[in-house]
Amino acid sequence: MSLEPFQKSSALSLGVELEMQLVNTHDYDLAPYAEDMLRLMSKIALPGAVVPEMTSSMIEVSTGICHSSAEVLGQLTQIRDALVKSADKLNIAVVGGGTHPFQQWHERRIYDKPRFRELSELYGYLSKQFTIFGQHVHIGCPDADTALLTLHRMSRYIPHFIALSASSPYVQGQDTAFDSARLNSVFAFPLSGRAPFALTWDEFTVYFNKMAHTGVVKSMKDFYWDIRPKPEFGTIEIRVFDTPLTIERATALAGYVQSLGSWFMNDQPFMPTEDDYLVYTYNRFQACRFGLDAVYVDPATGGHMPLREHILMTMAQIERHAHRLDASASIHLLRTSVERNDNDARWLRERQGEERLLAEVIRQAADRFRGGVDHEPGGFS
Amino acid sequence: MNEIMAIWAEWIKPSAGLPTVQWSILLALAAAAGHLVNRYTGLPKVIGYSAVGTFAGLAGFTGAAWPLQGTGLFLLELGVAVVLFEAGGRIPLRWFRHNPMVLVQSLAESTLTYFGVYWLLGLMGVPAVVAESLALVAMAASPAVLSRVAIDTRAAGPVTERALVLSTLSTLYALTLCSARAGMLPRGEAGLSDTLLPVLVVLGLSVVVAAVLALVLRTALRVMSPTSENTAILLLSLIAAGAALASNFGGSAPLAALLGGMLLKQLNPRPWSWPRQMGTASSMLTMLMFVLVSVVAAQADWSRPVASLVLGLVVVRMIAKVAGVSLGNAGSGTSWRQGLWVGCAMSPMSSVALLLVSQYVAASSSIGGQVAVIALPAILLMEMLGAVLATVALYRAGECSRPWSPVVRGASTGPVHES
Repeated sequence: MSLEPFQKSSALSLGVELEMQLVNTHDYDLAPYAEDMLRLMSKIALPGAVVPEMTSSMIEVSTGICHSSAEVLGQLTQIRDALVKSADKLNIAVVGGGTHPFQQWHERRIYDKPRFRELSELYGYLSKQFTIFGQHVHIGCPDADTALLTLHRMSRYIPHFIALSASSPYVQGQDTAFDSARLNSVFAFPLSGRAPFALTWDEFTVYFNKMAHTGVVKSMKDFYWDIRPKPEFGTIEIRVFDTPLTIERATALAGYVQSLGSWFMNDQPFMPTEDDYLVYTYNRFQACRFGLDAVYVDPATGGHMPLREHILMTMAQIERHAHRLDASASIHLLRTSVERNDNDARWLRERQGEERLLAEVIRQAADRFRGGVDHEPGGFS
Repeated sequence: MNEIMAIWAEWIKPSAGLPTVQWSILLALAAAAGHLVNRYTGLPKVIGYSAVGTFAGLAGFTGAAWPLQGTGLFLLELGVAVVLFEAGGRIPLRWFRHNPMVLVQSLAESTLTYFGVYWLLGLMGVPAVVAESLALVAMAASPAVLSRVAIDTRAAGPVTERALVLSTLSTLYALTLCSARAGMLPRGEAGLSDTLLPVLVVLGLSVVVAAVLALVLRTALRVMSPTSENTAILLLSLIAAGAALASNFGGSAPLAALLGGMLLKQLNPRPWSWPRQMGTASSMLTMLMFVLVSVVAAQADWSRPVASLVLGLVVVRMIAKVAGVSLGNAGSGTSWRQGLWVGCAMSPMSSVALLLVSQYVAASSSIGGQVAVIALPAILLMEMLGAVLATVALYRAGECSRPWSPVVRGASTGPVHES
């Protein structure tokens, strides 16, 4: 199968996908309600789409094409409200977060869809361990070469994205000591990690054809890269974010990506090189393990600095672009959280420190996701 | 059998008395049978428990005499109360605000069951007062059997949850109405005000006990961890005390436990973690309950007229439950197919029904006796057949793997399911 042509899209347009957890309201373990949620959500007029995911306790929602983070927030608010309404009807709850803290992967059920069955047969237990929840951000690129250039520039900021979105410290009931343990599950897949260093679509097409010739891949969907081009949408798709606990944070991350994209496309601040990837895996590990407390190795200079400082420095660099794109609120939300050394992983750990019961942490996270929707206070403390 | 027992009683003088030894051996056999049934057929363990109880009852086991009284009755009440407390805790009242159709489904299936069974039994020549009592008993589905089936087949999903909630609600109605009706039996026929008053008394007294239970537990949970074994023991002990007291005051012990669970869920919406801690103690109590039910129910007299009445009752009850759930299905969040399986999953009839029949017998031996003649075989049939039907329903709804496949060693290529 050949690589499909890169479609036109408007530069810096945005699309956000969120993989959400469905939990019961009894012991707050994952609950296999995807089909029922899809049925109820299909009756509500919404922007974007709602689709099933690998296992039956997951659901993926996505916005339509947006042009600003305010538009993303508007659409996510509508979708979130519909999710909460449908979940209330089924007596379940919808939760963000990159992992379910205490679910047992072997108890999961593969969603009944041919592609998921095929993947399950190929990947065995990895497909059930893929009951993890991420946010994907699509950013529109005017042409294919710009997309690849933006993709490789964006790779330097993968640690930023990981640390800012990290919300998966717990796996199988244990604190992993990672802020984002979710990405360790992704790494087990053979076609995960970084995209090949190709800066033009012609080079990339050669690579894809070689891979297709080996029979290992049939389409772009078979690559689980951290960032991958999405030719059918005319975008690049950043896939390292854990699903945040709130749609406000999800929106802010989209605004941050958009502002970075604007900086790259308009100012051409640097040229990516293959050597950028010498420190890629190390930086990625640091961000997963330590979150905002990670050390960042600058791929250009080799200098070490706290990731937190590098994020703040970047925010200063893109401020002008954020302002122009009406994404200042997004940057402000993220900057404040960096200054407070605060991300969702920390919130989850603080709640667990207080409650000593991961199920209660999930219940509070579900309340947090509800935001203003018929918010019901969470019991007594 | 009785001769053997007599010889045995002469031969040994156990410290805790012969009934204790008999019951211990019976439970050991039931535990083994439950395990083997599950291991070699994949069916729920409850079928093994019931089979052992049935054989014991048919063989004339004297450990549980009908009508139940004393320790046997208390253990049954306690077992039912523990199950219903947990089942009540699965019902957040806010759900009915978001999805009132669940309540409609519940009321429709219970009402249809009542009128369906009453109509059929009347048609078959059963006296009105007996038919009415049986119709009230038939309303109660068994959350105890259903939850055991769900645990053994590792079923989870909307059909499992909905069937558990509707079974619990039907039990709530049946407990309230039967307790009140049983109280009125000695007085014969009564008017509307005479009917309502006992219902309110039973309900009111049970609510008081339930509220005390829920408030004490809520207070305990402020200082005790829900994952602690001690919290589970405290919970079991308080339910036992509540069960003993509620009956004494004129309320209903199982009803108080059920309402206590619902109230606690309202007062304390935090996740329920203690069922995992209750573990073996709770499992043993429920196993004892299933064995006791089948031992007692097997002592019923079977005859051709009784068999046709029992079969008629079982069939009409099942049709009514499926029809009632389907009637309220539109807008309830489940598909028509799921609605059908919810109705089927509600077919078990077990310990709660036996308790209700016990109440009738205690209130009026003549009417209660006539009720028991039909009810006991129906309970026995639907404890086992109901468990099988519920298992099939959950499997057909896609919420558990093929349950009648024996557990095999080695790699499994079958579907993977959630707990």
